[in-house]
Amino acid sequence: MVFWFIGSLLLAFILVPLIGLATVQSAGNLARVAAMPDVRQAIWLSLLAAFLTAGVAALLGIPLAYVLARSEFRGKEIVIAIVDLPLAVPHTVAGIALLIVFGRQGLIGGPAGLVFGMRFWGNLAGVVVGMLFVAAPYTVNAALIGFEAIDPRLEKVARTLGMGPWGVLVHVTLPLAWRSIMTGLTLTYARAISEFAAVAILAYYPMTAPVKIYELFLQFGLDESSGMALLLLIVSLALFILFRTLARRRSVFMGSGR
Amino acid sequence: MTGAAFAIETACLTLGRFSLRNIDLALEDGEILVLLGPNGAGKSVCLEMIAGFHRPTSGRIMIQGREVTNLPPEQRRVGLMFQNFGLFPHLTVVGNVAFGLRARRRAGHSKAGDGITELLAQFGILHLSGRYPQDLSPGEKQRVALARALAARPDLFLFDEPFSALDARTRDALRDELKALLRQSGVPAIFVSHDHADAALLADRVAVIDRGELQQVGTVPDIFRTPANIFVAEFTGMENVLPGQLLDKSGDLRRVQVADKVLYARGDGPAGNDALLCIRAEEIGLCVMEGTGSLGLQGATNRIAGRVIDATSLGVISRVTVDCGFTLVAYLTHRDIRGLGLTPGQEVVAEIEASSIHLLRQDAADPAALRGEPRSTGRRTMAR
Repeated sequence: MVFWFIGSLLLAFILVPLIGLATVQSAGNLARVAAMPDVRQAIWLSLLAAFLTAGVAALLGIPLAYVLARSEFRGKEIVIAIVDLPLAVPHTVAGIALLIVFGRQGLIGGPAGLVFGMRFWGNLAGVVVGMLFVAAPYTVNAALIGFEAIDPRLEKVARTLGMGPWGVLVHVTLPLAWRSIMTGLTLTYARAISEFAAVAILAYYPMTAPVKIYELFLQFGLDESSGMALLLLIVSLALFILFRTLARRRSVFMGSGR
Repeated sequence: MTGAAFAIETACLTLGRFSLRNIDLALEDGEILVLLGPNGAGKSVCLEMIAGFHRPTSGRIMIQGREVTNLPPEQRRVGLMFQNFGLFPHLTVVGNVAFGLRARRRAGHSKAGDGITELLAQFGILHLSGRYPQDLSPGEKQRVALARALAARPDLFLFDEPFSALDARTRDALRDELKALLRQSGVPAIFVSHDHADAALLADRVAVIDRGELQQVGTVPDIFRTPANIFVAEFTGMENVLPGQLLDKSGDLRRVQVADKVLYARGDGPAGNDALLCIRAEEIGLCVMEGTGSLGLQGATNRIAGRVIDATSLGVISRVTVDCGFTLVAYLTHRDIRGLGLTPGQEVVAEIEASSIHLLRQDAADPAALRGEPRSTGRRTMAR
């Protein structure tokens, strides 16, 4: 009983401000904000960039997680710690560090601009870089837990049944880790949408939703900004719930779900 | 070795600090071999080498006349079964059984009609087709796993302690069923276990392995009654291993001095003067002393006077310790003990047939001892 009470305090602490945000809004204000083109554009950019971020995180993070789960090597603990590092770095620090490396004269930004004409600041790519840095650990960690939970002997049995290593990955390993991977990608996506500091430093323009909310707050105060805040909350919560539901379902790899 | 269904010829393998040395085994069609050994003996490594997960550094592996030494697991046609049978939890029963077929189709092996339904029916699991493994009993899981392996048409079955997580009664039932199904399939099988019961009840032949080396290969009576060395004797539960001096021969029996008694053993025994006498506790009979006239060799039976030290119930049977100048351990039924009225201190006569005494060379009793390594007791575990 005591634990229930203590636990409900934390739940209330999370829920009350979010509900409070909704209660101060009139439907009219919400509709007015939602009709503003730059608000729509910022929210759309946030959703798109977060989706791309989750995609890149999946592409780079799942192989890393698999290697970490299936092989033993010296310094493995250090690699795992490096993966978690962005969670411990203040996001303004992350933004500045990223700008130094991905900026005009940066270690990566310089050659990328000269050779490929690519830019990682002040555009969509910059937004994705900022988001990826802070959100990728969720994908790697969740996928790692998912892979570690699979008995390697199942993969061995699959091999003896005539499946090659890639077939085993596609038909056994990924389906069994599916929920964990999807949970990780959902968290990555959510974290990416909510990122402000790193993105604002690397790419203030084009404005993502959190940056736009911040600007509305500075220019027009609480009314305007809280309207957009609620709008973003509704959109991102809806997507969060949708993705979680998808992740909880049996894998799409499986022939007959139930 | 050409006619064998399966052969592994002087295979060696090094894996970190562990190594398999000169593994030699051959199986006929339909034969079941139990690979018996303590934890860390190299049983599972050996099995995984046969399955193709470890390459031997030398030697070769033949399956139905095909050399598979350097083939990956998916091209070896072996059926592998682990503890809890390793069913894919994300697939239904029919999905599991069809798995191998799907893999073979992808590899372009066969376009033949799947025959999965027939296989499910044959194993009596057709009604379980849509179930997931977590909803199956151990017996059903075993049948699904066997059907799945058979669907891939294996030339060899490999079992890695599939029963070790089960309770004794389930294990007994599944063992019987497994043996029947294996006999029916005619596919030779290697069954890794540390459980003597698996060897006694499943095996056509037993191979005992310790520290990466085969210690003895033979039938169940071979292994249990005439161990090749002290490790096999101890591992198979040989209660009486007595040092003795070889004396002259008397007919086809060899006289052996043990403490202050002379025993007769069948066969020549090893060269040299010293030997170890191996006598299984269940081969020793006890009777109450009546006078002293009938001691020594009677026909082909040794009769030795002694005094009961202790009788302890082991559950089904009792373990009786007798002091004959040396210590003898005998297994008796509770009925025998009641009938004889055995109590500590009682004078008895131990009866041992000469053919029940197996003579081992004492100095070469354990190959490990020859190499100056500490002797294993079967309780050692090894990190891999």
